[in-house]
Amino acid sequence: MTQFADRATRPSYVAISGAAGGLGKAFAVECASRGWDLFLTDLSAAPLEQLAVSLRNAYSVKVAVQACDLTDAAARANLFEQIRASGLHFWALINVAGLDYEGLFYQQTSRQIQTIIRLNIEGTLDMTHSLLEYRDPLQVFRIINVSSLAAFYPMPVKATYAASKRFLLDFSRALSQELRGLGVTVTVLCPAGMPTTSACIQSIQAQGWMGQITTCDVGRVANQTLNAALAGRGLVIPGLVNQLLQTLGGLVPAPLVAALIGRRWKSAHQKRALAQHLVESWPAVPGA
Amino acid sequence: METDLSEKTFVVTGATSGIGLAAAAALVRRGAAVIGVGRSPERCRLATRQLSALQPSARVDYLTADLSVQGEVRNLAVQIQTLLAAQEKTALDGLLNNAGTYVHWLTLTPDGVELQWAVNHLAPFLLSCLLLPLLQSAPTARIVTVSSASHYGSRINWSDPQLRRCYNGLRAYGNTKLANVLFTQALNRRLAPAAAVRAFAADPGLVKTDIALKGTPPLVNWIWKIRRSGGLSLAASAAGIVFLLTEPGIQNAPADYWKHGQPRQPSRAASDPAAGDRLWALSERMCGFQLEVNHDSVR
Repeated sequence: MTQFADRATRPSYVAISGAAGGLGKAFAVECASRGWDLFLTDLSAAPLEQLAVSLRNAYSVKVAVQACDLTDAAARANLFEQIRASGLHFWALINVAGLDYEGLFYQQTSRQIQTIIRLNIEGTLDMTHSLLEYRDPLQVFRIINVSSLAAFYPMPVKATYAASKRFLLDFSRALSQELRGLGVTVTVLCPAGMPTTSACIQSIQAQGWMGQITTCDVGRVANQTLNAALAGRGLVIPGLVNQLLQTLGGLVPAPLVAALIGRRWKSAHQKRALAQHLVESWPAVPGA
Repeated sequence: METDLSEKTFVVTGATSGIGLAAAAALVRRGAAVIGVGRSPERCRLATRQLSALQPSARVDYLTADLSVQGEVRNLAVQIQTLLAAQEKTALDGLLNNAGTYVHWLTLTPDGVELQWAVNHLAPFLLSCLLLPLLQSAPTARIVTVSSASHYGSRINWSDPQLRRCYNGLRAYGNTKLANVLFTQALNRRLAPAAAVRAFAADPGLVKTDIALKGTPPLVNWIWKIRRSGGLSLAASAAGIVFLLTEPGIQNAPADYWKHGQPRQPSRAASDPAAGDRLWALSERMCGFQLEVNHDSVR
């Protein structure tokens, strides 16, 4: 009897990592608007608190927040300990936290390369492993992993990032099979670049018309992905053009795809680098 | 005949460029004290210099706030109160909710609100409510919110008012401009009867501003440059707005929506009191704020 009372007063939560970023925030808002209680984590506490206050007001949901540097194993262990101590249970996990330092591999620092691997791969795997332990036994547990359209191709200029997203794609598909029949579904999201930060918007604009037609808004992506996860679908590629690109990419040999993408990305990268150089070297215009 | 404004103080948001700066200039020329609000300290300093040059005796202050963030709107209201107190003033004569923005892609603010909804609608709503006690302390006061003809043809989708799930920049813009009219009418209903504070929504007309040139794709830039070429000058548009802020004769005029100093009929969707009340309740929830109108202080 006490167990029932306990469950009634302790509803289960949706956990979202990277919740203060563009896509993570869109997931948080979409979940809150559906009336789901949330557990949000991101690198720093202040933006999480700010978002939480607003979501509690606007949608009358419970929002718990805990800042954590997911690239750090000790910080992750501390996060999981906090979750255990709080007694929270979860019915969904959305692994959004991930990053890229765009640029040529040999120009990146080894620390940057490590950070990509630690956050995109180690962080996601550790979150998934731990939260499975705290899943609500009475409900189907929904896992959403945010990969990327980059997962389908070898991508020059984004070599480490694309490979880390490929890891998540294959991992998610394999995990989905492992957990089949245990009341756990795994959905992997492979979006094209999204207009979340001014850097992303610049990057989309640097790609010209191709950037325009492959871009989907974060709100639509979050809504569509949650619907797909609830339906137990394994893979979400938002946007018809992107679905087409993924299909075509599968038909062409990988070295050729890499060469084609390399040409496009390198020119986009050079345009951006040039624009950046011009902005920085230009004398400040008074009154502009 | 233009009335003298030398004893009056007005708050103007988005006052570092465009219609806001032109309206602030018109107010300053007539001797009013102006508290301008802008995002960039640099542009605020520049605007202060420009306005002070027009009328060296006028009192011009600028406060910086990012109106897309609710915390900054609240902080701004406190700063305005502090500034007035420092000038030994107890009342505010008008608020011009002019700041507005346009974005092509769905952008969420740190509060998790769609950017245009936050800047164009929630900020005017919250700032007006927070400054209401100061406005009610004046013999008569005005709240003017810059709406737009793009509210015609807009309709708020109540299952997704911010259009998060199917974003379109222009539709979102039109929605917020519709919200400005609905908010103005809902506010007037809450302030009535015999309100000393009167709210108006203004259609500025098509004006030569840079609104659709800030961070938008080349096609949008190009279309806007063509559209605005037939537009009105800033000063001419601002004159119609300053009229709504200052003209004593229209305090009890029946119209809430005006263009170039003339009453206009807003769209049918904008004239629906039920929609206005629904928007009001939604806005209160989104800001975590509830307006309690104190009719006792109304003279």
